[in-house]
Amino acid sequence: MTLWRSPGAGSNRPKLVLLSPILLILALIAFFPPDGKEGAQLAQFIGRFHLPVVHFPIALILLVPVLEVAGRFERFSYLRLSSGFVLGLATMAAIVAAFLGWCLARTGGYSGTLVTQHMWGGITLTVICWLCWMLHGWTTVPNAGKYYAAVLTVGVLLVSWTGYRGGQISQGEDHLTEYMPSALRPAFGLPDNTPLVQATADSFYVARVQPIFTERCVTCHGPTKQKSGLRLDSYGWLMRGGKHGAVVAVGNAQGSDLFRRVTLSPDHDDFMPKGKKQPLSPDQLKLIGLWIGAGASGTLPLSAMKDIPAGNSIATAPIQVSFPEVDPAAVAKAREGLAAAVAKLQSEYPNILDYESRGSADLVLSASLLGPRFGDSDLLAFAPVADHITVADFSRTAITDHAASTIAAMKHVRVLRFGQTKITDATLKALNGCDQLQSLNVYGTGVTAAALPLLEKLPKLEHFYAGQTAISSGSSVPRGLAGKLVL
Amino acid sequence: MNSSELQMAILQAQTRRHFLRSIGSGMGSLVFGASLAKYAVASEGHADESNLSFARDATTPLSVLPPQFPAKVRRVIYLHMAGAPSQLELYDYKPELKRLDGQDCPASFLAGKRFAFISGVPKLLGSQYPFKQVGQSGQWISDRLPHIAEHVDDICFIKSMRTDQFNHAPAQLLVQTGNPRLGYASFGSWVLYGLGTENQNLPGFIVLLSGGKSPDGGKQLWGSGFLPSVYQGVQCRSHGEPVLYLNNPPGVDRNLRRTMLDAIDDIDRQTHAEFGNPETVTRIAQYEMAFRMQMDATDAMDINKEPESVRARYGCKPSGADFANNCLVARRLAERGVRFIQLYHWGWDSHGADAKEALNLGFNDRCREVDQPTAALLADLKERGLLEDTLVVWGGEFGRTPMRENRNGQEMKYIGRDHNPGAFTTWLAGGGVKHGITYGQTDEMGYEIVQDPVDIRDLHASMLYMLGFDHHKLTYSFQGLEQKLTSVKPARVIGEILA
Repeated sequence: MTLWRSPGAGSNRPKLVLLSPILLILALIAFFPPDGKEGAQLAQFIGRFHLPVVHFPIALILLVPVLEVAGRFERFSYLRLSSGFVLGLATMAAIVAAFLGWCLARTGGYSGTLVTQHMWGGITLTVICWLCWMLHGWTTVPNAGKYYAAVLTVGVLLVSWTGYRGGQISQGEDHLTEYMPSALRPAFGLPDNTPLVQATADSFYVARVQPIFTERCVTCHGPTKQKSGLRLDSYGWLMRGGKHGAVVAVGNAQGSDLFRRVTLSPDHDDFMPKGKKQPLSPDQLKLIGLWIGAGASGTLPLSAMKDIPAGNSIATAPIQVSFPEVDPAAVAKAREGLAAAVAKLQSEYPNILDYESRGSADLVLSASLLGPRFGDSDLLAFAPVADHITVADFSRTAITDHAASTIAAMKHVRVLRFGQTKITDATLKALNGCDQLQSLNVYGTGVTAAALPLLEKLPKLEHFYAGQTAISSGSSVPRGLAGKLVL
Repeated sequence: MNSSELQMAILQAQTRRHFLRSIGSGMGSLVFGASLAKYAVASEGHADESNLSFARDATTPLSVLPPQFPAKVRRVIYLHMAGAPSQLELYDYKPELKRLDGQDCPASFLAGKRFAFISGVPKLLGSQYPFKQVGQSGQWISDRLPHIAEHVDDICFIKSMRTDQFNHAPAQLLVQTGNPRLGYASFGSWVLYGLGTENQNLPGFIVLLSGGKSPDGGKQLWGSGFLPSVYQGVQCRSHGEPVLYLNNPPGVDRNLRRTMLDAIDDIDRQTHAEFGNPETVTRIAQYEMAFRMQMDATDAMDINKEPESVRARYGCKPSGADFANNCLVARRLAERGVRFIQLYHWGWDSHGADAKEALNLGFNDRCREVDQPTAALLADLKERGLLEDTLVVWGGEFGRTPMRENRNGQEMKYIGRDHNPGAFTTWLAGGGVKHGITYGQTDEMGYEIVQDPVDIRDLHASMLYMLGFDHHKLTYSFQGLEQKLTSVKPARVIGEILA
């Protein structure tokens, strides 16, 4: 005789009949899960009643253990008589709620982990409810009462879990914890929920203080490690403090834990930075002290602080560029003996030859603009100025290997482009004297891998463009050209 | 200079600036009015002695001039994403914002700020898409741009761009002309004015639109402003004839066309002799260019001359105004010596007011439309060795807020962000610029810049530097001011990003 044996056990047939709607809903869930799309309006209308209806089975299921426990006392023993009836009601209410829930989820545009969890929680609970009801009346089976107690306990736990998930769907994931007092949050492993305050771009903090922390502190107190829960990679984190509370006392440097620790004697246990690291420099300490003393503000402009030490170096120190001045006399002198030849070529071949810059006697030749209209004989005309050509583009011109000697005379050439021309390895062979060559382009030509060892000897070569040639990623590339070949 | 030209110059010279300048030198100069006029004539339209000269023969206004100093960049391909793409969904990785997703925006974000649509207290909105670290340089980029992600080691991200313009049209004008108001010369015009163009058979400054909506800033975005109109951008059509009525009509052959043009040129020259309007000379030059373009432009713009494999790499469509097709055209134009090539893409204004401009919907399409073609353009330029002296720029006109847009204080059906002029990302790739780096930094919400802010004029000054110019020296006298791209505020060349 078990404690939980029901006093009034009846026929099991109606209970077995109730199993069929449960199986039907299980099939619906399995074969027609929520897909995030909106469905028929009528189904949505019905589905919305899931929310009011669902509280009935919840209340009824939770009532059963109350009846069972209270019924153990002599005075309330009659209560246990009602538990079977309540369980039956709960099972039916759960079936209705589960069906409505499926309607809502299937047609109301729901999907996601939360919905899936809630759904399976709900249907499992319906099954458990039904099982309790079965076990409650099953007097013939030995130990049925123990099973009943166990299953009922699982049911009570499941009702809480499923209900919480449901609340998260309708009220938001943090509906219970959202307004939890900050003091309690760490106990539940929840992050501090106050948004971080940001320092302004032109503030003293950003210009002078943050760089110190970034350089000296963030390896241990930053995005990757947060020793003592403290982050110093932004104003917001700094002011939030660590697990022992605030580290900055506004307006009081001496009373700030952060300032105290960095100014202690390096052999003190609390000293920062830890582990025999170089202490902060006096200038850095002064900057931090001044800043805390001035109110530890994230908005105080840099210009408002007087008598501050020179700034700490930041990651990208500004690089000032200078604009080269052009001295007309010097330019004229450099171009002496060249200018006449250049002017003549410019009138014969307009727009393809010019000085590299206003202050330079170097020349840029863009023969590619003439395309097939520029051939070997045209190139001969440029022989008088070849020594001054630093950039020569022959892409898509008609030049061939016959031009090799003229090109080889360009001793100072830095950039040579032969893309989509008829030149072959023979032209490249002739380039061995072009020791200023940085960029060589043979895209889409007949050049082969045999030329690679020749190019290795060019001391300044940085890029060799050889796409669409016989050279491929499988070609053996001499060590000297590693990283320079572009395919 | 004939007498009518002189008179026009004198009239134009009498501006407020001249008046104020003359007060400085006392009443005496007013008395000697003639000498004032002489001074004005000498300076108008021409650089004075301390500046560089950009004087050219009136019949060849686009002839090549060398840059002021040796340049790393010889041509520019500017990919303007009109509408302002969200940096928070593409380049600026903000895990802290993601963590605070859905929380009320702190009051400090809203105090003293203007928004186009946000009202009340909006919610913070984390990035809608995951980011990953890619490349040797380990830069963060969103999963929406898988193809561009393969090229991060060739890219210099400037994550600290800022603007003082808040609406699309003026912000686009500021990005493209250095000034939010109409009437200023576009970047491309300045470059064309400064360097000329090598290929005289094609316009030196070509603009291609990707269909859809034209940029809010209108054609002024590639206008020449006060510069002679020969320097303005030429908008080419993406299918059919690149320029309308470029081909000869039936029954007119090239010789007949030549004869006709010669006659028109004669009349124009007489008109110029009589009235002295420099625009008449521009007209002669334009007719001549159109004649030469008949041969070359159609060829240059025809992507069907490319092998199928190349078109597939860009993801080209068979025809039509399409960003992918335009990217391939851009490469063909770059090869042909076009100085400044500008592509506009559209539809990046992700307010979330409808599905097309929602971050969770239409934004995906925009990313798909530009990702593969942009990456293919970079790869193709690199293979052909052109990336060495070409600068590719990718960016919009401002950024977007870390807050979710809530029109009229209501939660909207689709997810979007409002305008944020305070911070956005633009990237550069190619000659002249370091690659695989990020310059500048925004706060943990991606809302404001915390390190190395870059104003539009700083970017302009830096790009001009790469093209071989001191931005103070590339000037044009107009209305008594030595006009320059960077306007009158001090601009800084960002030495840190220069290669």
